[in-house]
Amino acid sequence: MSRIGVFICHCGSNIGATVDVPKVVEAARTLPHVVYADDNKYTCSDPGQQSIRDAIEEHDLDRIVIASCSPRMHELTFRKMLHQTRINPYLLEIANIREQCSWVHKDIEAGTAKAIDLVRMAAAKIDRDTPLYTTTIPVNKRALVIGGGIAGMQAALDIADAGYPVTLVEKEPSLGGKMVMLDKTFPTMDCSACICTPKMAEVGTHPRIEVRTCAEVEKVAGYVGNFEVTIREAPKHVDYELCTGCGLCESKCPTKITSEFDQGLGKRKAIYKPFAQAVPSKPTIDAAHCRKINEGKCGVCEKLCPTGAIRFDDEEKRSTETYGAIIVAIGYQLIDWADLYGEYGGRVASPNVITGLQFERLVNASGPTEGHIQRPSDGTEPKSVVIVKCVGSRDPHKGKAYCSRACCMYGAKHAHQYLDKVPDGRCYVFYMDVRTPGKGYDEFYMNTQRDGAVYLRGRVSKIYEQGGKLVCLGEDTLAGATVQVEADLVVLETAMVPADDADRLGSMLGVTRDKDLWLSEAHPKLRPVETNSGGVYLAGTCQGPKDIPDTVAQASAAAMKVCILFSKDELESNAMIAGSDVGLCNGCGACVAICPYQAVTLEEVTRRENSVMVTRTVSNVNPGLCQGCGACTVACKPGAMDLKGFSDEQIMREVEALCL
Amino acid sequence: MPVNEAPTASAATAATAATAATAFEPTILAFCCHWCTYSGADLAGLNRMSYPANVRVLRVPCSGRVNPQFVLTALNKGCDGVLVCGCHPGDCHYVSGNYFARRRLMAFKRLLEFTGLEPERFQVRWISGSEAGKFRDTVIEVCDQIRALGPYRSGVSDDVSLNG
Amino acid sequence: MSLSTAEALTDALREEARRLLAEGTVAVVVGWEAGRFPNQTTPAFISDPEQAQRLVYGDYCVNTLAKYALGEKAAGKVAVCVRGCDSRGINRMIADNQLLRDEVYLLGLPCSGMKDPATGSLLMKCRTCTEHDAVTYDVLLGPATAAGHDGASADSSAGDSEHVSDEQRFTAVLGIEEMAPEKRRALFDAAFNKCIRCYACRKSCPCCTCRECFVDQLRAGWQGKQNNLAENRFYNITRVFHIGDRCIECGECERACPMGLPLMALNRKMVKDLKSLFNADDAGMTEENSAALGRYDLGDLEEFM
Repeated sequence: MSRIGVFICHCGSNIGATVDVPKVVEAARTLPHVVYADDNKYTCSDPGQQSIRDAIEEHDLDRIVIASCSPRMHELTFRKMLHQTRINPYLLEIANIREQCSWVHKDIEAGTAKAIDLVRMAAAKIDRDTPLYTTTIPVNKRALVIGGGIAGMQAALDIADAGYPVTLVEKEPSLGGKMVMLDKTFPTMDCSACICTPKMAEVGTHPRIEVRTCAEVEKVAGYVGNFEVTIREAPKHVDYELCTGCGLCESKCPTKITSEFDQGLGKRKAIYKPFAQAVPSKPTIDAAHCRKINEGKCGVCEKLCPTGAIRFDDEEKRSTETYGAIIVAIGYQLIDWADLYGEYGGRVASPNVITGLQFERLVNASGPTEGHIQRPSDGTEPKSVVIVKCVGSRDPHKGKAYCSRACCMYGAKHAHQYLDKVPDGRCYVFYMDVRTPGKGYDEFYMNTQRDGAVYLRGRVSKIYEQGGKLVCLGEDTLAGATVQVEADLVVLETAMVPADDADRLGSMLGVTRDKDLWLSEAHPKLRPVETNSGGVYLAGTCQGPKDIPDTVAQASAAAMKVCILFSKDELESNAMIAGSDVGLCNGCGACVAICPYQAVTLEEVTRRENSVMVTRTVSNVNPGLCQGCGACTVACKPGAMDLKGFSDEQIMREVEALCL
Repeated sequence: MPVNEAPTASAATAATAATAATAFEPTILAFCCHWCTYSGADLAGLNRMSYPANVRVLRVPCSGRVNPQFVLTALNKGCDGVLVCGCHPGDCHYVSGNYFARRRLMAFKRLLEFTGLEPERFQVRWISGSEAGKFRDTVIEVCDQIRALGPYRSGVSDDVSLNG
Repeated sequence: MSLSTAEALTDALREEARRLLAEGTVAVVVGWEAGRFPNQTTPAFISDPEQAQRLVYGDYCVNTLAKYALGEKAAGKVAVCVRGCDSRGINRMIADNQLLRDEVYLLGLPCSGMKDPATGSLLMKCRTCTEHDAVTYDVLLGPATAAGHDGASADSSAGDSEHVSDEQRFTAVLGIEEMAPEKRRALFDAAFNKCIRCYACRKSCPCCTCRECFVDQLRAGWQGKQNNLAENRFYNITRVFHIGDRCIECGECERACPMGLPLMALNRKMVKDLKSLFNADDAGMTEENSAALGRYDLGDLEEFM
């Protein structure tokens, strides 16, 4: 039998003016299990709190109802007060008789009646309250960063510099991501490699950063502070302990393959570093193309290697380690335009229709053409270039509805670079709008126009080859006329889309994806780097298209969140979470599918039921992951899943109390 | 029809019934999610907005917590109308609770109406923490609608003749 | 079905059951055996190969057998005779993690609709059946039913058409939807008033697999024990809501109901809504769980703005 104390607050005249508080006290005294009721001028004040503490002692109360302002205001205050008593802080219910009663109802009779109802509901609910306890979760102060592009590197450096160990997982053989493929970066035109490769080297040599290349996250279990992550490393076929990175193997390898790093415009070997400044600065063997591995012949690299580092029989490695926090920085990829834009030639387009990233490689001094802008078809210098923006962006019918944000500046940069290298060339930019929000961005765009780039407002409707030229048909909506431009080279500024891995990784980590499969932040304004999974943070373009400055800023923000998490030795779990009654659960799994935090799993239990030991599958809630939304409780037909603090029984008693 | 059929036993309605013996004042239960609608209702108070005293708010963490069985129970036990309010789609503090609620409650509402419940008696609204005005307007609207409908006949009395 | 077809199927069924039991492939065979009258059968549970000849198949095998598999599986692998409805029930229970596919051996039987023992005409639940033949089985004991319900044209709205259209399937629902609200209320109040809460609908339903039903849970106190309209309504509506997004439309609840409540109209109302609102799949067609209320789509219809 519970012993309930009810405390009605006047809140000065805030409540007292439109609610007859003494009458509410009288009514409260008649409620079942209420052994004490009193009023208070200001319950939240020190004397007010003291009077509650005294009453608890004097009347041996075991739970209390406070009728006052909104629980959003003082629930925490009063819980803290109960910490100083012998009552569990969760044996507290608040009847909101200020914001939702005295302040909105002028009629004292109606207001008083409603206040009595609210107190009765709270008293009925608290009668069924149970003590709740938080648990502490240890925090493993090691971070995992997935993706070794500029975002991942920045985040890893920040966390490592703060003193915590970091593992950085990169699926390619080298760090650097997309940024290191770029030639120059807008608007300052500093060379991308010059600012990116020092970061790569710093990451590679940092004593607290462990870099794993050719590696992918295969499985994630656990929760904030305690993620069990299985990382799979593809075989490199080179023993990095022995390899000195001399490069002899690469120079003598007889197999030439299209280079991914050069966007298909150059060649690489079967044993290779993707690019000269790669980190780690050691080669890997591309098993799919190695003659020795596939045909058993060759082995030149093995014969030449001065340290005997070649391992043709190298195997996949798997390791499982514990991390306290995870930063996802898997970046983006460019939309595959060929399938979507048949009018630009589609799959059979001229080789002279290239993407912006291919242009970056063409214009880069260490690229396949050593920085000379040449047509891929015949190696001649294009005298006329058409740049098409928004290919796949802002095009809900064919591509994506969103703006890819970086392409306006990217396109202006390409125009500028082309006119710089080919001063007698002509450059046309087809655009929908020019969006240049950013420091120095609009100035850069204006300069590009001054350089001589011709901006035509409209989309390109067709690109076809005629007499060795590419004819671009489009519209100049400002002139209100159709235009036809003959070009030697066409650069498509294609949309950013999520990396292939985004969906798989998102579901593994419990991070929701938006309609375009970008990973979703917890709140678009106030929690931009957090996700709905505690301890999982986002950095860079995996969250949505952005440029380098924004990416780096977000990466540092994510790193900061990890450092905040690591500044504590233990986390306190939420006390008001779901729990499953093993006896009632029939293991149907409806709760598993519905949980947005992947907090519910099915597991086998062996227990005694009706004097027989049985093994059954039942649901289990992970207290580290559950956030207490209660969606699972409704999905649970047998009512096995219940929410502590808002249980079925508590809500039912409240409903009934209202109707008494 | 015994007197306890009508929800006159509720303290609120008892008070009003005393002043106007014949006027019917409905009892309306509003399930409000903690993060959006409940704070919207608080904001209505802060702004000293005025709305009928017929509504009682029951705080839940999320509209996804609202079991349709609570709604049926409320109607059976003497409420004349039930309102469920949550965050707007896309704003759920718990990511997806209101999306599940939307499906469940839409199906449930149609089922109730199929069995003859007046659509006004069970309503769902998305009200954000800043939409104090919408909260007030919703309460006024629902209250007017249900006052016009009269008391809900739950059938606790088991009297078939009542139901035509 | 013709007498010769029924006899041939019965022979095939007995032979297969005998073989499965004799070889020890299964521990028990769930089928039907003859009742006291020629137009009556009752579910049969055969574990002795010598008893296999008790099994029969014909026009009066009215019971849907799926749910019995749950009760028998403790003894070992269960062979179950399955038609469309039984097999969808089995799939439903697999999707709900109540049964493993390995725990059952499914004897597929063609079905052209069963007859009502009381009238001799096509059973109500078979008139709107969309899947006559087993959707999953381990062995098929007869040719698939090509032409739907034979001999049903005279008294069935489904007629002898091969496929029951959604319009036919949802006839009862559409009819009620068209009524005025007061009339609907009167209809269901009258129906719920008849309910004696025997829970036969629950017992027969392959979706009702809770260890303890909400009606029996005292702590939350969902279901009052009084027999009145309010409590009856609570039970019947909650029952529909619990199974509505998983209902395989076998019609067994309505057939089992001793008071003649229009349970399938309620079930199908929800099936129809979920289908039109959320593109819900027909339940029990596969072993996958695709309950429409267990998922959502960002683009779901917005009725509550």
